[in-house]
Amino acid sequence: MTLRARLGSLRDLGLAVAIALVVGSIAMLVAGVNPIVGFSSLLDGALGNRSELGETLIQTSALLFPALGIALAFRGGLFNIGAEGQLVLGGLAAGTIGADLHAPALVAIPAALLAGAIAGGLWGSIAGFLRARFGANEVIATLMLNVVAALLASYLVNNLLHDPAGQSSETALVLANAQLPVIVPGTRLTIAILLALAAAAIVRYVLAETIFGYELRATGEAPEAALRAGIDVRRTALLAMTWSGALAGIGGAVIVLGVLHRFNGQLSPGYGFVAIAVALVGRLDPLPITLAAFAFGILQSGAVSMQAEAGVPREIVAVVEGVVILALAGQRFLGARKSRVR
Amino acid sequence: MNVTSVLFAFVALTLIKATPIAYAALGGTLAERAGVVVIGLEGMMAIGAFASVVVSNATGSPLAGALAGIAAGALLAALYALVAVRFGVDQIVAGTGINLLAIGIAAYGLTVVFHQAGASHEVPALGTNGEIVLVALAFACAAALHLIITRTPWGLHVRACGEDPHVARIAGIDPMRTRFLAVTIGGALAGLGGVYLAIGELNLYVDGMTAGRGFIALAAIIFGRWTPFGALGAALFFGFFASLQVTLQRAGIPSELMQALPYLAALVALAGFAGRAKAPAADGVAYDGS
Repeated sequence: MTLRARLGSLRDLGLAVAIALVVGSIAMLVAGVNPIVGFSSLLDGALGNRSELGETLIQTSALLFPALGIALAFRGGLFNIGAEGQLVLGGLAAGTIGADLHAPALVAIPAALLAGAIAGGLWGSIAGFLRARFGANEVIATLMLNVVAALLASYLVNNLLHDPAGQSSETALVLANAQLPVIVPGTRLTIAILLALAAAAIVRYVLAETIFGYELRATGEAPEAALRAGIDVRRTALLAMTWSGALAGIGGAVIVLGVLHRFNGQLSPGYGFVAIAVALVGRLDPLPITLAAFAFGILQSGAVSMQAEAGVPREIVAVVEGVVILALAGQRFLGARKSRVR
Repeated sequence: MNVTSVLFAFVALTLIKATPIAYAALGGTLAERAGVVVIGLEGMMAIGAFASVVVSNATGSPLAGALAGIAAGALLAALYALVAVRFGVDQIVAGTGINLLAIGIAAYGLTVVFHQAGASHEVPALGTNGEIVLVALAFACAAALHLIITRTPWGLHVRACGEDPHVARIAGIDPMRTRFLAVTIGGALAGLGGVYLAIGELNLYVDGMTAGRGFIALAAIIFGRWTPFGALGAALFFGFFASLQVTLQRAGIPSELMQALPYLAALVALAGFAGRAKAPAADGVAYDGS
């Protein structure tokens, strides 16, 4: 990245933070809370002690996977708005395998993660296929697929995959061997955060150094030229949506295997949508995305204690995230979409 | 229960389920004919629903609530038009932001105004007569929008901006102003869809009550081939599925599969129609003022 792009990145991040502070303060004043009290309880709740920092990093990992997937698709000129559905199905698949597969941890964990990646990847590939084969708009397709994924997961968990010994709306407990190991004693922080960081490094490498990454960027930035240069833009679109979905699916898997230890309705408070904000703040570049995921992780985890201690409804987070997306939707790197190939 | 009353109940339920989708789809059709894709219809419905409940609760007048819901939808759409039309930012990304923002404001406001999360308490509603008026009004809106788009000078401006804003500019039309107005009116209609949900069909606001109807409306726009009557017809088709689902659920068929049907139908339509039905040429393309 050039120095100029780096400075631009910092300026956008500064802008996003400033807007978040202003909008957050106004919302707190509406609720009759002193913004200084509100924000300090947010930061204290997210970073105040080891266990809280652990929760923040858990949120970071849950956001980083789908954000990397979204960035991958966006870089290829494909607007994957379907990370939420891909994440939910990834979580369900991982939870099912994790509860069912009696094997040592070295087999059980990779198998459950792989199940999540496959489920998310397949779901993403549907939109990719419809786009590549029929020229169907992937934005509308992924929005539809989000709703269908939620209904499909609800149907499966209520009818076929539910815990025989427990409630009808959740899967059985993930076996001990498939639960992600905790890496910091006294917290719930698991290897999920290390996997997420590794994923960021891999996506960065793939985008910058591989032929697929080059073809993906070329398709996103100048589809006409990519087509004339002999790049199979349809195949690239299909692959981009599949890998994008797979990353979101692993995001769902690490929440189930690392935190909830079963699939249920609490899986996602909208990670797939918040991850869009994360990817934008991070300028679709894996390294800044990682920092952005941490920043949004602070928001997500601090909001709970802010509600308890300062009396600010935690839904303020969605308001702030929405405004940040609006503020950053004008970035130049999104401009390539105007001239894309059907 | 005789056949006539069963049939009547089924038709009534179809209209009830179709109406909020129809309003949002009509609003979205107008905006897209002007060249602006409105992913934020869901958020505009939610903010319309929430505002109508707050104002109906405060004033005791459901009519004032309905007007507030329309105004709130228009206001949110104006904010969207400000960033998407005036500043020319990416419409898909901005629309996603609008949805997150609106649903966040409604959820946050619920706690601030009603001091409880999840749902408001019950407020004065429009009642059965009001509901019937809103259902009929949706049909009237479709007819009016059809006439406006096809028969009035402004409608011609709208279509010109949707096909090629640069050419429209040369012809003396102001594309930004035309698009801004089309999006704002579209938002008012989507807000009215939310009003119908909150104080027409029900008498309170529930978190997530729009339940993807704004997204279904996006599909209805495509199904309806970017025409008002087409959008209305598609909304009725989706309403038919929704009422079929309610009816069959009583017969013990898993509701999730039936609920998914309209979305699956939309996916098939998306794939099948993409070659035949054409979106306005400049749909979703920012106008940069040149």
